Amino acid sequence: MKALRTEDMTLNMGPHHPSTHGVLRFILTSDGEVVHSCRPDVGYLHRSIEKIGEIMTYIGFMPYTDRVDYVCAMNANWGYALAVEKLAKIEVPRRAEFLRAIVGELNRISSHLVALGTMAMDLGAITPFPWALRERERVNDLFEEICGARLTHNYVWIGGVAFDAPDGWLEKVRRFIDSFEKMIPEFNRLITGNKIFHERLVGVGVIDRKTALAYGISGPNLRASGVDWDIRRDIPYGIYPELAFDIPIGGDALGCIDDGYARFVIRVREMEESLKIVRQCLDRFPHEEKEHRTRIRKVKPPVGSVYVASEAPRGELGFFIVSNGTEKAERMRIRTGSFTAMSVVEKIAPGLMVADLVALIASLDVVAPEIDR
Amino acid sequence: MIAYVRNIQDACASIFDGMAVTFSHLFRRPITVQYPDRIPRRIQETLPDRTRGHLEVDLDICISCRACEKACPIECIVIEDVRIPKDSVAGVDGKETARVKEPTRFDINLYKCMYCGLCVEPCPTGAIRFTKEFEGATDDLSRLHLRFVTPERREVVLRKGEGYEREQAEKARKKAEAAAKPEGGKQVDPPAAGEESKEGDKE
Repeated sequence: MKALRTEDMTLNMGPHHPSTHGVLRFILTSDGEVVHSCRPDVGYLHRSIEKIGEIMTYIGFMPYTDRVDYVCAMNANWGYALAVEKLAKIEVPRRAEFLRAIVGELNRISSHLVALGTMAMDLGAITPFPWALRERERVNDLFEEICGARLTHNYVWIGGVAFDAPDGWLEKVRRFIDSFEKMIPEFNRLITGNKIFHERLVGVGVIDRKTALAYGISGPNLRASGVDWDIRRDIPYGIYPELAFDIPIGGDALGCIDDGYARFVIRVREMEESLKIVRQCLDRFPHEEKEHRTRIRKVKPPVGSVYVASEAPRGELGFFIVSNGTEKAERMRIRTGSFTAMSVVEKIAPGLMVADLVALIASLDVVAPEIDR
Repeated sequence: MIAYVRNIQDACASIFDGMAVTFSHLFRRPITVQYPDRIPRRIQETLPDRTRGHLEVDLDICISCRACEKACPIECIVIEDVRIPKDSVAGVDGKETARVKEPTRFDINLYKCMYCGLCVEPCPTGAIRFTKEFEGATDDLSRLHLRFVTPERREVVLRKGEGYEREQAEKARKKAEAAAKPEGGKQVDPPAAGEESKEGDKE
């Protein structure tokens, strides 16, 4: 019998596709269902935020960092504030450090909830998505109370935080983490332990340790590949050195490694660790200290440059700032986790089914504005 | 073969496990509300105090220092002002602040505003602040271009400005007279001259 002649087909996936988180485009060549090559085409959400950073004053650029990654705006604010504080040698009051850690970890929880919910939805499970967003709304309520905004917080400012915690806020955070702790097992029952979900993800989109390191993947995606690296512990900032928390990494302890399922489970575990961190911050909160911000009118760092990395939910979020001694930066560069995660798709995609490619992209938890900036 | 059957069994079991969680939500209190109608109170009334909604300006306590205009990263605030005879205003915290200028134009482009709050923070009297109003959807952009100084108010402020001009002209005239007078005359009227130079330094 003569073999059927098959031909590669070029398939355009995106920029508007329900499974691309934001405006993302992939150019696939596939033979039937099997992907032969996949080229991510990024840049649809480019807003030249880095360039804006060069025409804004250091203080005025803060609201733009919200828009670098709006799913975890607190962490983006924090990363930028860390860089400028190091460059201009600004002290941060201890009370502010605690507030930063609390909001940063709460934002990590809400960001992971979005990641997990959308990932389940991309694989066809609709219920976990509203479930996750419902919990995220409770975090947003807390944020709205402390800073007045639900998405673009602009809360962590250079030299501290914008506002002190209102009366009773810390108790509300405690009530939230107490109730959310009970929600994680429910979430695991709902989706993590689901056999069909399991089958869709185990062994799909395998990124081994070597590839992950070679492509500069960071954050939960890197840890899912079994690399023990977390900036909060390894290049500590804020009050993280004082806090005790585990860093879940892929391997025997987690029960899975390298694949999409490991990247899912690691985020569930990280939410548990974030709860631990928030609880410790609440227990040790310095109530006796009143100052929540070093008041500064102008930021004029000396000539020089600085690179400060912080651990955002999507991996290493680093700000590289070159100062020319004025109120505006000479050069602003932002390194984000989603961008590097996107680059590995080209390497991993060949051989996957189109539906599994969706699983791969979802499991990397990329956020389009963070890729393009 | 057994593995195959077990696989199907596991899949079914986990589906029902997940469904049990979903089912339990039927008996929980819903957290969604029917916005915007069918809620007992307007949603704005239930928002926390720090809510960053639309901006508003209390012109009675605005001293036109332009701190907000400078702080705004996107230049959505436009202020024009005139010098007025010096008076003082009580800020929202009750602190008296001297006022030498008053705006004849105070515009905020809400369609450019990103509600970051950088303008509210440096205001010395608390004149510019957030309201809880957030429903800005409109088919007419000019509705979002807020002009806080009404034409009537502008007239009042301009008249105050004219008063200041007259004051200055009067002072200048007196100064010129004092300078024209012989030595003895100067000693008669030194405080006026001193005040004049102080004013001049400020400008």
